[in-house]
Amino acid sequence: MKPRTILATLSMATILSAGAALAGPAVVSGPGAQPECFAPWTEDTKYLQWPAKEGPYQIAVVNGFVGNTWRIQMVKTAKAYAEDPSVKDKISEFKVVSTGTDAPAQLGAIEDFINQGYDAIITIAVAPTGFDRVIRLADKNDVVLVPFDNVLDTDAVMQVNEDQLAMGKKWGEFILGELDAMGVDGGKLLEVRGLAGNSVDRDRSQAINDAIAADDGNWEVISVVGNWDDGTTQKVVADAIAVHGQFDAVIGQGGSNGIVQALKDAGHPWVPVAGESENGFRKAIAEYSDEGLKGISIGQSPGLVAVAMKAAISALEGNPMPQLISVPLPVATYKDLADGQNFWSELPDNFFTVNEFPPCGVNISGPAIMAETGDDS
Amino acid sequence: MTRWIAQNRGFAAALVLFAALYFSYHLMHPRGFSTAVLVQNANELVAIGFVAMAQTVPVLLGGLDLSVGAVMTLAACVASWLLDGTPAQIALGMIATLAVGAGFGLMNGLIVVYGRLQPIIATLATGAIAIGLALLIRPNPGGNVDGDLNWALTNSVYDFAETYGFARGGDAAWLQPFVNIPVPLILLFGTACLVWLPFKRTVTGRTIYAIGSAEGAAYASGLPIDRARIAAFTLAGFFAACGGLYLAIQTSTGNADVVQAGAYTLNSIAAVVLGGTALLGGTGGVIASILGAMILRAVSFYFRILDIDPLLQPLIEGIVLLTAVSAVAFRTFGVKNQLELFR
Repeated sequence: MKPRTILATLSMATILSAGAALAGPAVVSGPGAQPECFAPWTEDTKYLQWPAKEGPYQIAVVNGFVGNTWRIQMVKTAKAYAEDPSVKDKISEFKVVSTGTDAPAQLGAIEDFINQGYDAIITIAVAPTGFDRVIRLADKNDVVLVPFDNVLDTDAVMQVNEDQLAMGKKWGEFILGELDAMGVDGGKLLEVRGLAGNSVDRDRSQAINDAIAADDGNWEVISVVGNWDDGTTQKVVADAIAVHGQFDAVIGQGGSNGIVQALKDAGHPWVPVAGESENGFRKAIAEYSDEGLKGISIGQSPGLVAVAMKAAISALEGNPMPQLISVPLPVATYKDLADGQNFWSELPDNFFTVNEFPPCGVNISGPAIMAETGDDS
Repeated sequence: MTRWIAQNRGFAAALVLFAALYFSYHLMHPRGFSTAVLVQNANELVAIGFVAMAQTVPVLLGGLDLSVGAVMTLAACVASWLLDGTPAQIALGMIATLAVGAGFGLMNGLIVVYGRLQPIIATLATGAIAIGLALLIRPNPGGNVDGDLNWALTNSVYDFAETYGFARGGDAAWLQPFVNIPVPLILLFGTACLVWLPFKRTVTGRTIYAIGSAEGAAYASGLPIDRARIAAFTLAGFFAACGGLYLAIQTSTGNADVVQAGAYTLNSIAAVVLGGTALLGGTGGVIASILGAMILRAVSFYFRILDIDPLLQPLIEGIVLLTAVSAVAFRTFGVKNQLELFR
């Protein structure tokens, strides 16, 4: 046969065999493997099961945007976890690429890894939609595709995230509880919102406000937009203090270092503050909690990537997995902060403290990640 | 042949560079030289390829169009509302999408010519308008593009025929020489050949080159300068809309992504330079810019097959591109008069 004919025959054979084996996960009933780690999102969450494959596996992480602390820490965590003794033997090849905010490039990278014969692909989607083609190809080739953090609007793939509504509720309820304990049952609360138009900001803010509305106190909520960014947050909080004088508490969903800095600069008395998991925020809580900074810190952890990798391996081993996995919220309040355990006074302020998920056996601590250079040697 | 190379040194250098890059990529890829890999690469190329084509035309005039990424995004958002229903409705939706882009380009052209603004400033403003419109019609990512259309246009000719059931589902003998060609490549190069090559040969097309080379001489020769400028920006809008249309089909959705629009505009300029078109205008062409886009993409392909520290990848990509641009454009930057390149 001529080379061209051989190519044609081969490609047709591939297409036909792929069509015949119309694969992809089967929808099964739970419970799934390791429910203490891979908790289903709700009771109605369906379970997916892929045909078991022999290990070790080839796994790729396709990141989109890279360039903020969270993403860099996520990439380092992924590399550190791939070397973890509990999974090292199950991974034969591990690659991380960042495509930038470019949907065709991210879709292309995922498809390229499918073509290369990778078994699982972990991704932070650059857009919540548009992945139909790669999902179809992944199913055809029995590749496990796991979006996490920025997840997709579909129930066709296994996804890993933290419950943003639960996070907002927890923030709201903690602050109201602290105010209640102080004997304050009404006044001004400052809410610091995140990036407008983003589903995470929407969910967190809605849950915070629902929690405040459900309280019997008389609260006035002032909302400002801080874009989850320390600098922006510091500016908008300072502006709010200049206009409104004094707040009884601050509930922020990001840029927490900026909240603390603005309070400090304005000479605002320390009040209960809810915020994300930045190291600097936790340092401040530890230092000033006696003076009134009764803080709570909950984080969207860069360590989610490790849970997603672990979920992918579990799925490849043939275990039934929840379609949407809810990772337990890493919560720390002023009562249980300890230097060297859940924050590090020697590490930079913008480092994200929460990385560990003990129920999942993901025990990569802050200093371990900072030590990970990312070299491939 | 020798004369052709001498006249198109930038293009020839880019061609050699791309061939070397792409050939070694296939050699190292576990499934190299297969249709699946070719189809995947082609899909990734189309949007940036079209936007690079769009950028080329104003660059030939000696201007820059900072709105091409935004117009692509706008077109994708428009298309995400229109590409569903009967084949006639879908076809109408495609035409409407391309008309929106061309119309936006026409507006750019009119502002530049009659508003007498620098193209770079005018399009910076209109680009923001395009993104604003895109956000207005698509505040949240979404849309419902026909699934068959998505599958057929992002695959090989065989799958295209199979999806729409012609040529006996792709098995007809006459189709066999073409079954492995990716449809996206046909769309990209087809548009370039059917739209650009004939246009380039018209008086208006020649005038675009003349303006970039020596505007005063073009004016003194009585060439239709205003018409050429308006045509150039309209064509840029049209090509950007082609990119947006394909992006909507490829992702089945529209997404008014501001960051992505900016990235595409910047990458389009990089692709134009990589293809050997001079930023000062007067020499180059859209086919060369597709080649530039191919080099741009091929560099990032390597990160998937080689073990490179993820945090070093942007740095390495930048260095490789800088080297490539220097190699390709060295001569074009050095000459005092663009006409020297045609000797």
